[in-house]
Amino acid sequence: MNQQYPVSDEALIEAVKKGDRNAAAWLYNRHIDRIHRICCRIVLDPLQVQDCVQEVWLKVFRNIDRFQCSKSFAAWLNTVTANTAIDYYRKWIKHDNHVGSDDIRARAMTTDENPGDRKLDGALIQQRIREALEKISVNQRTAFILRYYEDLPVAEIAETLGCSEGAVRTHIRRSLLALRAKLAGKLNQ
Amino acid sequence: MEEFEELFHDSFESQEELLSEYNSFLSTFERLDQAAVPELSSRRKAQIFKQSWQGRPQESSWFLILLDFFRKPALTFAIGIVTGCILMSVVMNDSIDLAGTASADELLEVEHTRYSQTYKGKIIDDFYSEFENPEIVVEKAGETAPEQRTFHGTLDNGEIYVVWNL
Repeated sequence: MNQQYPVSDEALIEAVKKGDRNAAAWLYNRHIDRIHRICCRIVLDPLQVQDCVQEVWLKVFRNIDRFQCSKSFAAWLNTVTANTAIDYYRKWIKHDNHVGSDDIRARAMTTDENPGDRKLDGALIQQRIREALEKISVNQRTAFILRYYEDLPVAEIAETLGCSEGAVRTHIRRSLLALRAKLAGKLNQ
Repeated sequence: MEEFEELFHDSFESQEELLSEYNSFLSTFERLDQAAVPELSSRRKAQIFKQSWQGRPQESSWFLILLDFFRKPALTFAIGIVTGCILMSVVMNDSIDLAGTASADELLEVEHTRYSQTYKGKIIDDFYSEFENPEIVVEKAGETAPEQRTFHGTLDNGEIYVVWNL
């Protein structure tokens, strides 16, 4: 991804620390799609995702002075994103206004990013996968998403989630078993 | 497949069982690969950036410099000590001579000879302020002789020499 841009993350971060808005915009555009993707898969509700993404970037810009350029910015960003999304999801689940899967499904079907003219099969599969992901714990889901969809090494996921590599492998294995059970049953219905 | 094997290696006794289990996961993987994430519109991206950027702490540069300055503990400690001394001095109602205060040697000079010691300096000048060039001499006639203290000074611009047994 970095090969697309001549300026390194580190150089942009130094500029952002000095208050350079353009550098911040470069950095943001470079990573926003990945951050949005991770938040989407952890938080699951399309209406909540945008708030979650904004919370991630608020934290990034507020705490960028603490970031040390000797470390990988992408890894730091992954940690901020995963932890923010996990916290966001937990708060949202506890909140009185928490909505059920049917409501999420309805939102997913009608939201701008999911036009209603898509084939029902595709939407149904998306919905089934979302429901299956929702059934596994948020930590298991995060470990699985970072490995399966984002292709992060197990060691980096362990550092991101603050647990051992063995725990990450256990999370992923349980996620796979749960997803297979949920998807096999539901998709054959 | 390699990673699958790594994850499930302790769950199956034979390679065939493992392969069979992997095949049972294939349809799940296919389904998971279809789980596309809707993209954020450019308008929403711009909106999120704007709000996030505006939400960062707006500190002026001079404040940051000041903050950085006081983040150094040794410097802060030293400044604290100096400030404390100045405050104490003000409280004690004693002005500070920043140009250079008299050292201990200047306050009281002592000249030693084998049998005598002569004391002079600011302390003696202040104590005997009515005399000019005052000094106190402590001398002995010999190793075992008793000490004798005398005051020496002048009056009227050196016209009168005063010797005073103390």
